[in-house]
Amino acid sequence: MNMRRILDRVWLGLAVAAVVAALAPLASIIYYVTVKGIAAISWNFLTHNFDQVGNNGGIANALEGTFLVVALASAIGVPIGLLAGVYISEYATGRSADVVRFLSDVLVGIPSIVTGILVYSAIVISFPTPFNGYTAFAAGVALGLMEIPIIANTTSESLRLVPNSLREASAALGIRKWRTIFLMMANCLGGIMTGILLATSRVAGETAPLLLTALGSTQPFQGWFNAVETMTLFIFQNGTSGTPNLVEQAWGASFVLLITVLGINIAIKLVTRRRIVFV
Amino acid sequence: MPRLMDMGLDQLNSLLLDMATLSQQAVSASIDAYSLGSKGAEVRQMSNRLRALHRQVSDLSVEMIARYQPVASDLRFLKACMEISYGFFRYGRYALDITSVLEMFGNLSSCDKKFVVDTAKKTQEMIRMSVEAFAKRDLETARNLPKMDDVVDESYRRNLRTTIEKKGGDIKCALSATLILRYLERIADHASYIGESIEYIATGIEPKLD
Amino acid sequence: MYSEIEGISVKANSDSAPAVNTIPFDAERHPIVEVRNLNAWYGAQHVISDVSMKFKRNHVTAIIGPSGCGKSTLVRCINRLHELVPSSKLTGNVMLDGVDIYGKQIDVVDVRRRIGMVFQKPNPFPNMSIRDNVIAGWKLAGVRDKKRLDEIAKNALQQAFLWDEVRDKLPNSGASISGGQQQRLCIARALAVEPEVILMDEPCSALDPTATAKIEELISKLSENYTVIIVTHNMQQASRVADFTAFMYLGKLIEYDETPRMFENPKEELTERYITGKFG
Repeated sequence: MNMRRILDRVWLGLAVAAVVAALAPLASIIYYVTVKGIAAISWNFLTHNFDQVGNNGGIANALEGTFLVVALASAIGVPIGLLAGVYISEYATGRSADVVRFLSDVLVGIPSIVTGILVYSAIVISFPTPFNGYTAFAAGVALGLMEIPIIANTTSESLRLVPNSLREASAALGIRKWRTIFLMMANCLGGIMTGILLATSRVAGETAPLLLTALGSTQPFQGWFNAVETMTLFIFQNGTSGTPNLVEQAWGASFVLLITVLGINIAIKLVTRRRIVFV
Repeated sequence: MPRLMDMGLDQLNSLLLDMATLSQQAVSASIDAYSLGSKGAEVRQMSNRLRALHRQVSDLSVEMIARYQPVASDLRFLKACMEISYGFFRYGRYALDITSVLEMFGNLSSCDKKFVVDTAKKTQEMIRMSVEAFAKRDLETARNLPKMDDVVDESYRRNLRTTIEKKGGDIKCALSATLILRYLERIADHASYIGESIEYIATGIEPKLD
Repeated sequence: MYSEIEGISVKANSDSAPAVNTIPFDAERHPIVEVRNLNAWYGAQHVISDVSMKFKRNHVTAIIGPSGCGKSTLVRCINRLHELVPSSKLTGNVMLDGVDIYGKQIDVVDVRRRIGMVFQKPNPFPNMSIRDNVIAGWKLAGVRDKKRLDEIAKNALQQAFLWDEVRDKLPNSGASISGGQQQRLCIARALAVEPEVILMDEPCSALDPTATAKIEELISKLSENYTVIIVTHNMQQASRVADFTAFMYLGKLIEYDETPRMFENPKEELTERYITGKFG
């Protein structure tokens, strides 16, 4: 056997080893969480609110909180992110486009705790009563701010992938610019939807900014201007509590979160496989 | 950089030059046969060869048009090629006609051949001019041809008038002279057509038809 | 005066000097499109130099020339597509039926509806059905009457000689048909908005000879009702299809004449050299 063939095999071996090294932690997370968490899952667990002392507590309020906060975050992040993405791709020219795109990239990379601190000082402590303090509203705003650059980036990238020939065809027909943009978006709907789902699943799993805005609560949703519990806060608070019952519940919540993430990724796959026909 | 069709165009050019020389020789041979009383046997062969060459030129021109879709000066050249090669072919054909007159009429040594020979000289000069104008694409020479054609035409008609008015004399001489002058006049016509074709290649202008 | 329209500068030149390139044939009394002293740039690159020409109504005019001579840019100036390129610049006038389409009062969308365009690579909207592609210009302008839209679609497809081939496939995606059919679909789409002028930028370059022949026949038929301006790098196509041919080189209009005259006896040395293949 000559040198080249040996080298070939060596490289192949290294690549395979690297993949195993990369996937092993992921596999072990899934395994561990599943094993530890599945014990806690029950109908009670999913439908009852948190119960500090009893044995019948659940994650219902945490689920409700996550859902509502992420909904607010999306209500802020999706429209602004989409429009920003459209601006970057369709309106900005030359230099300004590069600057805006760069800034958007930087914003994606800002640590979530920094966003949390920003919202903390701008809303939690500065808003007039009764709108100040740890609130679901502040949490939604913080997560929304995080969603905006993600969605803006994925939207503008998706639009850039639409061939320019379609823009020209539309313009040459005498179709107004905004209508042409809608048409372009229809042609990259898969990419845009993926971006939105990715952003949503990302912020649903955030903890740090929620510590500074939502704080957490043992109660179900009390209105937008009160503290609220989320899945991530639940895991954080109960996982470190030391009480075996609560720790087990924390694993259960982790499992549910894991399933949710899996579900969103499957949804993304389905969305990008189907051809969206816009009539 | 030579184009694909340049090879074909060069081939056409050399075919035409061959026809030019051959037709010139054919006419000279037939005139010599008349003035010197020889048979001019080689003229038939030359005329046949010219016919074959004309067919070759025609085929090649059409092939070039079909294959290369030529335009502008190339297209004009191909159109003119076919006309000019026909002209050279006709030179040879009329040379043959002249020798067949000699064959038919037999002994003409008693005739006064001066007038015909003089006209023949002018015609041969026109042939020479047409060949040179083609070989060098000389517009000046080409444009002079129609004028000389008028001269030859006039000679033909003058002879005709004299012959009609003259009473008596040798009918053999008169008839042979008339026929040969007719053929010379036709050769001169073709020479002037060749001149027009050469002008067309260069300028794209064809003379008005009267 | 200068006006900023979508980031480009347009200067209206009212006291222009006579053009260097004179029109050699007796100009049509009512040209439908007229270009006057047109200059165009991409950034610092001067792509069209002082071009003036008139296009005859209901005839086919071809624009030929080597790559980079500015012919595509010229037609894009006619339907105001040139200004969509950032850093583009344009001076001079383009008249449609005597009105300067770069004028301050003019709605560019209206110009682009009256002057349609077909591109080099067929570009039907892939996310729309064949029928929807044809009526895209109407539907995306808000027209909803289904019966009327169906009629428009049928009419346009018939004009583009495509109706018989796709009548049973109307709901299929616009991208599901062959290249030649896609190009005819794009032509139908352009015809559906009832333009007066149709611009074609090398419409057959991406097609096989059979599809090309079909489109050339179509162009010939279209010229009965529309004015067609076709950019082509294929001189034989220009000589087959066009009534008039314009030759451009390095941004300038070199010669503009009736097609048979241009191809039998061009007046300019440069034209002669280009069309006989001695350069370019």
